[in-house]
Amino acid sequence: MAKLCVADGSGNFLDRMNPLVKILGIFSFGLGALIWPDFSLGLVLLLVLFLLAAVAGILPSFSKLILGFGLPVSIMLLFIQGCYSPKNRVIIASWGFLHLGLEGTLYAAKIVSTLLVFLGAFYIVNKTTYTGRLVAALSGIGLPAKIGYLVLASLNVVPQMEHRIKVIRQAQSARGLETGGGLISRIKAYLPLLGPVVLSSLTDSQERGMTLETRGFGIKGVRQSSYVKVDWRKSDQLACWLLLVFFLLVLLASILSRTGIYPFTYDWGGGR
Amino acid sequence: MKIELQELVHSYPSGDRALDGVNLTFEGQEPVAIIGQNGAGKTTLVKHLNGILRPSSGHVLIDGTDIETASTAKWSAKLGYIFQNPDDQLFLESVRKEFEFGPRQIGMGQEEIDRRMERVADLVGLTGKLDTHPFDLGPTDKKFCTIGAVLMMNTQVVIFDEPTCGQDKAGNERLGRIIAELGRQGRLCIAISHDMKFVSTNFSRVVLMCQGKVLLDGPKDQVFSQESVLKQAYVTPPPLTRVAQESGLDRPVFTVPAFIEAVKDAGQH
Repeated sequence: MAKLCVADGSGNFLDRMNPLVKILGIFSFGLGALIWPDFSLGLVLLLVLFLLAAVAGILPSFSKLILGFGLPVSIMLLFIQGCYSPKNRVIIASWGFLHLGLEGTLYAAKIVSTLLVFLGAFYIVNKTTYTGRLVAALSGIGLPAKIGYLVLASLNVVPQMEHRIKVIRQAQSARGLETGGGLISRIKAYLPLLGPVVLSSLTDSQERGMTLETRGFGIKGVRQSSYVKVDWRKSDQLACWLLLVFFLLVLLASILSRTGIYPFTYDWGGGR
Repeated sequence: MKIELQELVHSYPSGDRALDGVNLTFEGQEPVAIIGQNGAGKTTLVKHLNGILRPSSGHVLIDGTDIETASTAKWSAKLGYIFQNPDDQLFLESVRKEFEFGPRQIGMGQEEIDRRMERVADLVGLTGKLDTHPFDLGPTDKKFCTIGAVLMMNTQVVIFDEPTCGQDKAGNERLGRIIAELGRQGRLCIAISHDMKFVSTNFSRVVLMCQGKVLLDGPKDQVFSQESVLKQAYVTPPPLTRVAQESGLDRPVFTVPAFIEAVKDAGQH
């Protein structure tokens, strides 16, 4: 079976939270980490995200994503920025022809932490939000139904494709096609899988479009009722305010710090 | 060829037990139908026969060799499997190329491919359409294209998943002819079906599954006379058989002539 998100608003507080608040959360955390003068806030937010993932019960897959993506990207950026950034002035380590500069290293840390905060926040929201609720909440604040369907379809297409590819791979291996084994046999096996996946998803989407029309989707001049009800609770209101206040405080602090009025962040050897 | 299933268990990652200790033996050339309601484990069962799915516990033995010892692609030379949805299987630009694909994979020579092509195309009714693009075929012909592509591989066993799905009367009759032809050639045919009329017309052995277990396994007249077990598995015998049962005839019947015969016999007693 295609694994679709089962969060229906009955589990932990993240499942129950209004999807709009969660989207606000992504931006509040991500932009906060972005405008902060150095990487420290991103690091703190990343820890918070780990806590949230633990609460949501998705810590293993979350850690896998952050480490699996974060480590290679950190190493790559550290190498590029740390060794070759034109901003480099203070050299903190050198091996022969390689000189690791402080400014570039800090810049790399900043980018990585911001990227991981965005990625992690989006992952947690995605995993704890039933897509139907998200679209219902978005339609509730005036998103046109057609755009809502686009969001829904594009979020659902990945698990559907995964499932399809699995079945098609089975069907081809039952016809004698070796789909495992070495790299070359894998690449050779890839081509026969591609055709059916693309063609069948095209015919699928055409059929889906037609069935939607026969069921009155896109009809004009009628106020559609929503099948999924999304509440706006007191806790959502509170979370919304907290996220906004957090972001505004970060914004204020960053402006003060960057303009030099009140440079309270630690000065990493002038590496801002 | 002999296929043995020993205490076969299959659990999906979600924890559902799709197969719960199945013991079965398929042998010879007597066509076998597997019946049961949706979710009974029929497809999961047959997907083990060529190793598409691997047992969670228990064994599948093909002529004494455990299925685990080779890949599905290797087993495909011995067991052909026709998927339910043709769109999962077809990807080449002509029926002819589809027919050639499987045999090439298992190393069949071009001469033999050409020789088989004519016979198989005739059997599945696609003789005049060998150069058509499979996606330009109607649903019936598309299904027969997938069947032909697997028959081309000349396997000792042919597995059909829901062959009657979307077929008209002519298609069903052609399927019947294919199954009979496989039997004549000494090949074993295993099919999953919901169409009890199709099952009773074309198969002599019937396996009834329910909730991952085999409830009944035997000749069709024995299986279709176990009314209470069939009811428990939510399966109804073919209409004619039910009429005969309800009117108290002493033996299960599947064809109109057999029914008339049984009625005449009953009248004489």
